[in-house]
Amino acid sequence: MRLLKRATEKPRRRRAAVGPLMAGVAALGLVAACAGGDDSRAGPGAMTDAEREAQVQALFDAGVYFCPMDLDVRSSEPGFCPRCRMALVMGLPEPVDYTMDVTVTPELLEPGGTARLDFVVRDPWEDRPVTDFEIMHERPFHLFVMSQDLGHFAHVHPTRDSETENFHIDLDLPRAGLYQVLADFYPVGGTPQLIARSFIVPGGRLEPAAVGVDYTAPRQGENLQVELVTEPAEPIAGQETELYFTVTPGEGLEPYIGAWGHMLAVSDDLIDTVHGHPFIADGGPEMLFHLTFPRPRNYRVWVQFQRDGVVNTVHFDIPAKELTF
Amino acid sequence: MTTACIRTGLGAAILAGAAVAAEAHDALTTSVNWSRTVSRIVYERCASCHRDGGTAFSLTTYAEARPWAVAIREEIFARTMPPWGAVKGFGEFRNDRAMYPSQINLMVSWIEGGAPEGDPEDLPEPPEYPEENAPAAETVRVVRNGATLESPVVIDGLFPRDVPDGGSYQIVAELPDGRVEPLVWLYEYRNEYGHAFLLEKPLELPAGTVFRGIPAESSLDLIPPPSEPGVRD
Ligand code: HEC
Repeated sequence: MRLLKRATEKPRRRRAAVGPLMAGVAALGLVAACAGGDDSRAGPGAMTDAEREAQVQALFDAGVYFCPMDLDVRSSEPGFCPRCRMALVMGLPEPVDYTMDVTVTPELLEPGGTARLDFVVRDPWEDRPVTDFEIMHERPFHLFVMSQDLGHFAHVHPTRDSETENFHIDLDLPRAGLYQVLADFYPVGGTPQLIARSFIVPGGRLEPAAVGVDYTAPRQGENLQVELVTEPAEPIAGQETELYFTVTPGEGLEPYIGAWGHMLAVSDDLIDTVHGHPFIADGGPEMLFHLTFPRPRNYRVWVQFQRDGVVNTVHFDIPAKELTF
Repeated sequence: MTTACIRTGLGAAILAGAAVAAEAHDALTTSVNWSRTVSRIVYERCASCHRDGGTAFSLTTYAEARPWAVAIREEIFARTMPPWGAVKGFGEFRNDRAMYPSQINLMVSWIEGGAPEGDPEDLPEPPEYPEENAPAAETVRVVRNGATLESPVVIDGLFPRDVPDGGSYQIVAELPDGRVEPLVWLYEYRNEYGHAFLLEKPLELPAGTVFRGIPAESSLDLIPPPSEPGVRD
């Protein structure tokens, strides 16, 4: 009912539509507030910065469960992150970095061919192979694949070898040049990992992608259209940008591998890769993502939304400007 | 019950407001704090230089690091600190000093969330700084862009020399059988912090290998594996 109604609304009311959603997200803080026994009755306007800081600190201190991925999310009760749906953990674990060996076969790669990638993850303490992974967005192992020209993008899930318990996948290599793969996994007892590796298919040129500026026109996916409005309209490097996506038709949306949307932003020179999920989403046609572009460059931003069982992948090319005074 | 709800409702409102106004008020909106997490990253990635008696101002305590928070975020985003000078994932190095994406995320979340201190009880042991032994001056081969190997080599490390500031250079080895091996992707490499990139695994390059991607004015030292102690020829 609600979904249908929302779909018939004019999509321009983004700001207003986000209001009630924001309250939903804040409910997480609500739990913390109860547990914290916070006593202040003054509204935000009546507080000094120090009081506000103390109050927010009290709220946060009360929450002992954290999302290991969305570092600003916490709760005083076990549960799931409303943003990425990962299980909340007790206390924020110290960051640990695992090593990952990747074997690419065959040795001589060819454009138009395939490559098999075998992954062995090792723990940083004993250097032993790791086979226990948390299920993150319904899968234990995610892989993003990009060609250097950013013309090829895939979000795939390596499969586990039943004997060795290690992950492997066959990748299509539509063109020559450099490929970057980003492995996204979360070893049990560790912290989420995002590890990059590159390999080269001979015959191409190694040069940055020609990413232009193209983010105001709507994009047509398989069975939905995606429109983007950014705030600010011209994003600034190093400062948070809000990305409001509106999809039409707005009904029939489904979580895709555990989230209402997935986003990967990659700089034209492949150096920055930022991965995220909606900051605010409730299954309706409007979703808000937060993103900080690290450097003043052009970024290609892929988003994925699922509707009626079909995964839609579209991209926008967004420039981030240098901050000037 | 009602009062509790009003109270909690207010807390929630403040929290939502705080998230929006985080920049303006430096409100604390992160689960990451100095004592537990950030100190460990700084000890690992920054303190070899940023400490008393190091080559740059000290960042080893909360009091020292806090005032630098905004500058730290800038340097991390720009990839100018730590001055490792190469992109992760293109070649693998056992002495890699670049931050992991997870470390960047944690530090940025800490800074954007108001850079809280946390409980000093959680601080790790202060790090020790072993004297770094530069790899012994083995007989290195020096190659320039387009150079072809006349005899096979095994390389254990690479030392880029005279690299122009601020560029991005993907240096590769083209093998005679057609394979292209990524060697190192220099980015924001600065000669003043020049250093060797020691390979995770030694790399065999046959005769006929051609080096590409080295800037015209630069050269690359090919460092052989250290000869085993006692074995000399
Ligand atoms: C190899 C030594 C080295 C390492 C490792 C290192 N730095 Fe630095 N850093 C320096 C030096 C030297 C300077 C002074 C730079 C200058 O004078 O231009 C500096 C300057 C800075 C500055 C000030 C920049 C400015 O001028 O505003 C910041 C901030 C900084 N470093 C942060 C970090 C952080 C954070 C890390 C770890 C993630 C780090 N550095 C790791 C050597 C290092």
